[in-house]
Amino acid sequence: MRSRKIHNRISVLREERGISRKELADKIGINFQTVGYLERGEYNPSLDLAFRISEYFGLPIDFIFSTEPMKPMSQEILDYRNKRGE
Amino acid sequence: MKREISKRTRRIGVIINYASLVLFIIVFYAGEYRSWDAPTIIGGIIALVVAFLSFIYLYVKTHLWKFVHTSIEKLDERQVHVIHDSLRYSYSIFSILSLSYILVLTLTARFSINTLTTSGKASLGMIMLGGLIYLAHTLPASIIAWNEREVFLD
Repeated sequence: MRSRKIHNRISVLREERGISRKELADKIGINFQTVGYLERGEYNPSLDLAFRISEYFGLPIDFIFSTEPMKPMSQEILDYRNKRGE
Repeated sequence: MKREISKRTRRIGVIINYASLVLFIIVFYAGEYRSWDAPTIIGGIIALVVAFLSFIYLYVKTHLWKFVHTSIEKLDERQVHVIHDSLRYSYSIFSILSLSYILVLTLTARFSINTLTTSGKASLGMIMLGGLIYLAHTLPASIIAWNEREVFLD
């Protein structure tokens, strides 16, 4: 069974927090090159790795990973505000 | 700062490394069956030096040699995948090449073609055996060097 491409927001979240790939890699216990492969969608993380990334950023897994291309975060925030009627 | 070595350069390096090894084997057998004249000796030395230098550049300076010999516990999940894939391809390539060589030896001995054997019996020459041992040890690293997206030089 061919696995689907998993889209993610790792690079955006990393940039927001001013963390390098090496720093993120060291925190979650992987090689820095693997962070690059994850960000480019060239490698799908295991469930354990996905949870570790989610725990590190303090965000739900489905906010970081998706099987569909993800909307820009600014769009997500705007949609959320519109939904709340702000 | 680590400098990235391009995939194209790595692939050329792999070709040069194995080509120089093949050249050394050919030169050795040329010397054995014909004569060890100066061009043959010089050719053999050049082939060995090129093989050695390309090995150092391609596998040692990139740490690929160390990577493929690292214990699984020290690798992350993606690196384990990379190693497993390289071993899978290595097994296929090595078994096909070595079994083909044994088949050729057997056939040449069977039909008494004295090109690869000296006594009419099938025998695995030391140089060819050395070449196969080298191939077995370097194939995983060469497959990674051939396929991997990012490889850095020290």
